Amino acid sequence: MSRRAHQQISVTKLALLLAGVGFLGVGGFWLYRLMGGQYRTVETLDPESYYENANNLKGNTYRVEGWIGNSLGWNPGKGRLFSIVTQSQNKDYVLPIFVPHDLQTINIQKKQKYMVKVMVNDQGILSVLEMTKP
Amino acid sequence: MLSLESIELTVPTVASPLLSGINLQLPGNHFGAIVGPSGCGKSTLLKTIAGILPHTSGVIRWRGRNLDERDLDPHELGYVPQFTCTQPRLTVGENIGYAAQLRRTGEAREIQSVVEKVELETGLTELHNRRAGVLSGGQLRRLGLAMELTTNPNLLLADEVTSGLDPKSEEEITALLALLARQPGRLVLLVTHSLRYLELYDSVTVLTEGRLAYGAHPSELTSYFGVSTPEDVYPALTTKRAAEWAEEWNSSLDEMSFQIEATLSDDEDSSLEKEASDSPVPGFFAQASTWFCRKWKLFWRDRAQVFLHLSLLVIFPAVVTLFAYQGLPAVRNMTMSPETNVVQELRETLAFTVQSSRTGTLVSGLAMFQVILLALMGSNNSAREVIAERVILEKEKLAGLRPGSVLAGMTAFFLLLVTVQSFWMTFWVRLVCQFPGNFLDQFLPLALLTAAMTTLCLAVSSWSSSTEQASLGSLYLVGFQLPLSGAILALPDFIAWIIRPGITAYWAWSGYLQTLKETRFYDLVTAITETPLGPYTLSLWVLFLHLVLGLSFSYYGLRRSLWR
Repeated sequence: MSRRAHQQISVTKLALLLAGVGFLGVGGFWLYRLMGGQYRTVETLDPESYYENANNLKGNTYRVEGWIGNSLGWNPGKGRLFSIVTQSQNKDYVLPIFVPHDLQTINIQKKQKYMVKVMVNDQGILSVLEMTKP
Repeated sequence: MLSLESIELTVPTVASPLLSGINLQLPGNHFGAIVGPSGCGKSTLLKTIAGILPHTSGVIRWRGRNLDERDLDPHELGYVPQFTCTQPRLTVGENIGYAAQLRRTGEAREIQSVVEKVELETGLTELHNRRAGVLSGGQLRRLGLAMELTTNPNLLLADEVTSGLDPKSEEEITALLALLARQPGRLVLLVTHSLRYLELYDSVTVLTEGRLAYGAHPSELTSYFGVSTPEDVYPALTTKRAAEWAEEWNSSLDEMSFQIEATLSDDEDSSLEKEASDSPVPGFFAQASTWFCRKWKLFWRDRAQVFLHLSLLVIFPAVVTLFAYQGLPAVRNMTMSPETNVVQELRETLAFTVQSSRTGTLVSGLAMFQVILLALMGSNNSAREVIAERVILEKEKLAGLRPGSVLAGMTAFFLLLVTVQSFWMTFWVRLVCQFPGNFLDQFLPLALLTAAMTTLCLAVSSWSSSTEQASLGSLYLVGFQLPLSGAILALPDFIAWIIRPGITAYWAWSGYLQTLKETRFYDLVTAITETPLGPYTLSLWVLFLHLVLGLSFSYYGLRRSLWR
């Protein structure tokens, strides 16, 4: 047994400690992505399909990520209509999104990047359910 | 009884053994001197007995038990190193008091009576309130002895405690040690170069080149070496090779009648051993609390240090706010109407880009500035914390201090410091620059960063072998944070993924900026920086892991043996 005054530090213990902290870091990141990723379970909207026939997508929920373009319309009681520029297969697509009145507190400005959860409503418009900055 | 059987000590870097074939038996109630010319292995032998240096072969027994199987209990051993290991900013009474509190249990009154007793024993009563930093060499040696006597050890080892003293002080210390050796069951061993006052010793052990040349009563010393005065013994040692002296001594053992007599029987040994093992070391939290109180006292006693901390506390946040003392600029948005003509849109885009560049850089810079300055404060908190007191720590560890208790005591102290530093930085910057966002959300990443940097620098300090090394290591640790954080220049993707998890500043910067997510400032920052910002909760998690890593490495650094 080693005497108290010259106890050696086990390299194995140190390596295990590093591995443990590394594991916690990677595990934390993985868990975050798994549990906390924004709209992780929501399918990404294919702009081509939307362009081709928006009616086919009615009632579905999608995820859209892109830059806010222009303000297309505004109705104080109903909400705001914006264009959002999204990318798919290295091509830019401009989509209309409708931000309902209950999301009026969000300050939406040109060139802002947003991740948006939308539902294709009865008129084929992308109605925003939730939106957040990525 | 202390028994050394065929002790050998070799180190890979030195060809000849540091100790070879040492056989020695020393009884209790004994005052022995270990003498010899410089470099003969006197201190090495003492450190081997104390367990500081591991012997390569042979057996050391104390009261019949093999110390490799069961080490000396902290209360059994008193070890006074060659160099002073007292805290100069504490008084004599405080130095002894803290040593007593760290080493033995008992009420404050009992501890106080122990302090008074050992002060009386060592003649330090008059100096109770005097700072250790102003004591003379002889007084410091007495203080070192007094600290060891707080546990009333049975084996007291003193390494060159008389060297460098004037003759009067040397005589006083030697006489004091002789007196201490008269207490029941106590063996005192003094390593000394001096051959004066030989009449005070019960035995003299002479070493030459790591071998035993003589180990018996001092009265026979001169006749054995065939010299007229003790001072002639060292020159006489050069007349033969060390191996010859050792052989001669071994062969003469049976013939000579003046060997050291080991008087204690096995029964006496075991009863004394039981008595010694009954003295408990204070618990984990008691030691941690003592270390915290000691640190607290030392902090306030060092006025320069307090002034430095206060200055940094005031100046650093003030420097940050210099860049936005009139508050953050308002953000002008672009026209969102689709009717805007191309020229106007281009003009607006250009203006917005310029604004993004200015305001985004300002906000990102202010966040990173806070982070880096707090990292510097963290480094200043702990960069020299362990290494500056390494000798004291090693000695106290030998006397039973748990490294975990030291770490807990230090952590409690740093927790206060870190909270004040990060609170004030967050508060002041928000107040002057009118940073939007939640106060607590902004305080958390900054507090975790300061805590993480403090513990990481504590780890550097606990693994360094000099203050210069510790300072430089901590400086590099902080210095590399800014360029590697990606806040100024984005790192290439493949490097960023490897490096980023280890850059504390990046996660604090990301976490802080994420608290501005609902504002336009966040948009401007993300528009100008290519480095992606880590999510808020993930940033806090990684900062917490850095803190854990710092604490763990500090613990192992404190635990490892670093006797110089």
